[in-house]
Amino acid sequence: MALPLAERIATVARRHPENPALFWQGRTVSYRDLLAMSRAAEKSIAALRVPEGIPVAAVAAKSPETTAVLLACMRAARPVLVPPADVGDKALRTLLADTGALVLPDPRTLTTGTADAAVAARPAAVRVPDGTALILTTSGSTGLPKAVPLPAAAVGAFAEWSASTFGIRVGTSVLSYAPLNFDISLLDVWTTLSHGGQVVLVEQERTAHPGHLLALLQQCPVDVVQGVPMLFQLLAAAEKQARGDEFAAVGEVLVTGDSLSPGGLAALPRLFPGARLRNVYGCTETNDTFVHEIDPAGDPGRYGTVPIGRAVEGVCADIVAEDGTVVAGPGRGELIVTSPFQTSGYLDPAQHAAAFVGHPDGVTPGPYYRTGDVVTRHPDGVLTLDGRSDSMVTVRGIRINTAAVEGALRSHPEVADAVVVALPDERTGKRLHAVVHRAAGSLLNSLRLREHVAAELPRAGIPSGIEFVDAPLPRTATGKIDRRTVANSL
Amino acid sequence: MSRIDAIKRHLVEEYELGTAPAELADDYDLLRNGVIDSLALLTLVSWLENEYALDIDAADVVPDNFRTAASIDAFVAAAVTTAKVG
Repeated sequence: MALPLAERIATVARRHPENPALFWQGRTVSYRDLLAMSRAAEKSIAALRVPEGIPVAAVAAKSPETTAVLLACMRAARPVLVPPADVGDKALRTLLADTGALVLPDPRTLTTGTADAAVAARPAAVRVPDGTALILTTSGSTGLPKAVPLPAAAVGAFAEWSASTFGIRVGTSVLSYAPLNFDISLLDVWTTLSHGGQVVLVEQERTAHPGHLLALLQQCPVDVVQGVPMLFQLLAAAEKQARGDEFAAVGEVLVTGDSLSPGGLAALPRLFPGARLRNVYGCTETNDTFVHEIDPAGDPGRYGTVPIGRAVEGVCADIVAEDGTVVAGPGRGELIVTSPFQTSGYLDPAQHAAAFVGHPDGVTPGPYYRTGDVVTRHPDGVLTLDGRSDSMVTVRGIRINTAAVEGALRSHPEVADAVVVALPDERTGKRLHAVVHRAAGSLLNSLRLREHVAAELPRAGIPSGIEFVDAPLPRTATGKIDRRTVANSL
Repeated sequence: MSRIDAIKRHLVEEYELGTAPAELADDYDLLRNGVIDSLALLTLVSWLENEYALDIDAADVVPDNFRTAASIDAFVAAAVTTAKVG
């Protein structure tokens, strides 16, 4: 029996067969065509005779064909693992071993019925719970991705919530910037398709080209843009060569995945004059759990940054202090959440037990996911993100949050970006080293920058070393600063 | 090179400030701005002892004597005078 999300997409296709479902490389794919591709893929997958309940893996870049294959799996209620398209051999082997998934042939052969019908090797034991729809991946702290199985009910509930929260309905055009293995795609692709909208697919190899984004938006204006702060930086850069009306249709802007810099925040209202701006917080394990209506003029003064806001309906969240007690009123600690959109859990029991916990009061039903994010609750109940709990380091006996140091560095008007890494130091245990990307043309030196951060930080938080670079800092595929690369280069 | 310039050059090199010694103002607060911490103070003192043939009394190793290039220079000047008199 098809999963509810697939049913909904089939219903849209029956009612609005000619409506565009996807926009890709200058052409539209109608709902009728998407469904036809998906039926062909379903047949091809059935011909592989994969035993019932065994997950399959779609290792492919984002395209209409890949989307149709994922839809085919949902129609057949077959769990499907979506690794990063450029997943390395070692990481893929780990994911396949963890999930017991079999790798599908190329989506282009599946959707055209030309796939080789040989069954791949017999999988190991099935590790994925019943009712799993999608298995997304998240980068583990060891560098190997972890599989995150999402139950069909969670994906369905998320699609309903996100469609009503962000106004996605028949005819709504939504930019799909993130790859399909990211939780962000649940909204961009699956909420949109199940509610009759059009998904405007950005080619994965060209996500960092402002010119490509601009050309795409000129061909196909969008109503909804969700992205990591890096996307908005790219769009702000592209704006200089813009015609001027590319972003005029945008009514909803969702910032997610990382903290917005003061410069990025200031650029948003100018880029999207007609848009409602919201900061969305979540992770693959729980999906979106917090939403904040951005007030570009007011937020920095009121909260010092753009908050993550308040928990959305149905989500329960608490702040746990270092001593393990729940912070009742205003205060600071690690955020734990449980959501209707949550994963059934990691497949490795030890990893699962470390991240999914009961509520500290021993009574409130969970499980709660330990986000690893340190947050502050303000007197009005709004939460701001202070950084990762693993960004806490002890320098000369004083606990320092490297994210706060980065924030202080970035708040200097001549600093475009900054990253702080803690390096081992035989004298002090850890010493902070900052790599600072200076704004173009700036002659800022370490002495003046030290004076700036000294006004905001305890002395132990002032980096021992400040290194200037005049090129952007290395970033991961998700747009977060690639700390590992920075640390390894030192 | 004057003594204060030599002190500045040492500070810039030792603490990797990444600037020309001349850019370090005489009154730049080395403590408040995190250039020198209490541990770095000890290595600075031993450098001064070697460089200017001083025997600095532990009681004089108080942060305020080393807050700026100017105060370090003044401290050395006083110590040198005391050494000659003594």
